[in-house]
Amino acid sequence: MDNTKRSSIEEQKIQSLLEAFLLSRKSLKSSAAETSFHVDEDFLSAFTEGNLSQRESMPIVSHLATCGFCRHKTAELVRLDVAFRSDEENTRTVPSAEPHRISDVLSGLLAKIFGNADGAVFAHSEKESGDDDSKDVGGSASAEVKENNEQE
Amino acid sequence: MEPAAFNQEFLSEYAANVDEMFARCVQNAPNFAVTDVRFKASVNKSLLRFAAATPSPPTREEVLEFLSLLQADDLFIALACADGNERAWWEFDQNYRGYLERLARHLAKTDVDAQDVIDCVYVELYGTRFVDGERVSKFATYSGRGSLRGWLRTVIWHTLVDLHRASHDDVSLDEMTENAGEGAVHASFANQVSAGDSEAVEQIARDRYRTATSRSIEAAFSGLEDHEKLLLLYYHVEQLKLREIARLVENEESPLRRWFQRKVQSRSDNATGRIHESTVMRWLDKSYAKVLQLFRSELESTHDLTVAEIEICMGLVTEDLGGRDLFQNLTVG
Repeated sequence: MDNTKRSSIEEQKIQSLLEAFLLSRKSLKSSAAETSFHVDEDFLSAFTEGNLSQRESMPIVSHLATCGFCRHKTAELVRLDVAFRSDEENTRTVPSAEPHRISDVLSGLLAKIFGNADGAVFAHSEKESGDDDSKDVGGSASAEVKENNEQE
Repeated sequence: MEPAAFNQEFLSEYAANVDEMFARCVQNAPNFAVTDVRFKASVNKSLLRFAAATPSPPTREEVLEFLSLLQADDLFIALACADGNERAWWEFDQNYRGYLERLARHLAKTDVDAQDVIDCVYVELYGTRFVDGERVSKFATYSGRGSLRGWLRTVIWHTLVDLHRASHDDVSLDEMTENAGEGAVHASFANQVSAGDSEAVEQIARDRYRTATSRSIEAAFSGLEDHEKLLLLYYHVEQLKLREIARLVENEESPLRRWFQRKVQSRSDNATGRIHESTVMRWLDKSYAKVLQLFRSELESTHDLTVAEIEICMGLVTEDLGGRDLFQNLTVG
């Protein structure tokens, strides 16, 4: 058996052994690095896109080599990215039409938050006196919408 | 110099660059009503975090590279949406809703409605929680390091995991990556019953070689660089395909790509442009070769095995992998 062929067989064996080792290691109780700290979404998405500088990425790479939780997240993000590859290359177009005074977007959104159309209408109405100290979502949202209306 | 004073001096050195970024963003989106104070606060926070990433301060070139990688326009719309700007929300909805819906339909299974996911994401992005009188929007956590689309992928994936976890008693994502399967690993171990003295002696010898093999592969893996470990883990544990790893390193600035292109210097490697699957395979092969070298070295130096005994260990590798009992005594290192 020549050296090249022997080397190839040995590398195949080591590949199998390595895989068995890594898969066994995965199922063991997590190390301290896995449970005490996780990389936030912002860094993870930037890492998967290759947008982190060398300086920032070194500690991330070291962490991902030990933290299965964060590494699994990046793997899933890469799979998603490949699945939606064509969307990354679409040119964004900015529609020319101006939004309405009360946009459909915020109307629908606030309707979901408040649970019904009446709640959304209430949120869009001018603020009545006596509601200034309200800290709930409805009170603050109506104040916010009023502020937006005044700005227009 | 006090940290606060150093920070101020550091930030003032690049204030003009940040001002230039802000001016470009305002030119591209004049109706978003993001103030320069707001924009600079976000960028400066990221700058300081970047500077603190390693003990030594960054060079000017490193800082300028960092600023050039920032997705300033994406950050601008995110800040505007966090502030509740109608125009920004309208543009966000126009540009990203379709993408989010396709993502949600791709990820969601039958018991979690894709529209529920979108609704949850939008509510989270808008923010219904108030802290000190200010609405807390998820957009406030986006720093512009990666693209907004990439960040949204993360957000929607997380939302789906949370929704799925809330509606099921299945093993959680945390448990999946920590303890699940531990019982299965031990349960797969089968005690070997010796039928006689000669077989017992042979069994002891084989156990010795098995122990040496398992410990040596563990040591060999530990001896790799972090980038090599991560590549192997992505391929073998996360089961990423070669084309998926190639996608991960597609960006010329990708840290994994730059590291491997430096280490595995080859004329056929494409310094710019897309990385081919064959290139990723070549990186893997280099890593396997290194593992094999470290493995053999470990068997010889730590376990005092002869060349013939090392060959026995290599032979055992093929025999024992089926039962997976080789790593019964493995500990996390």
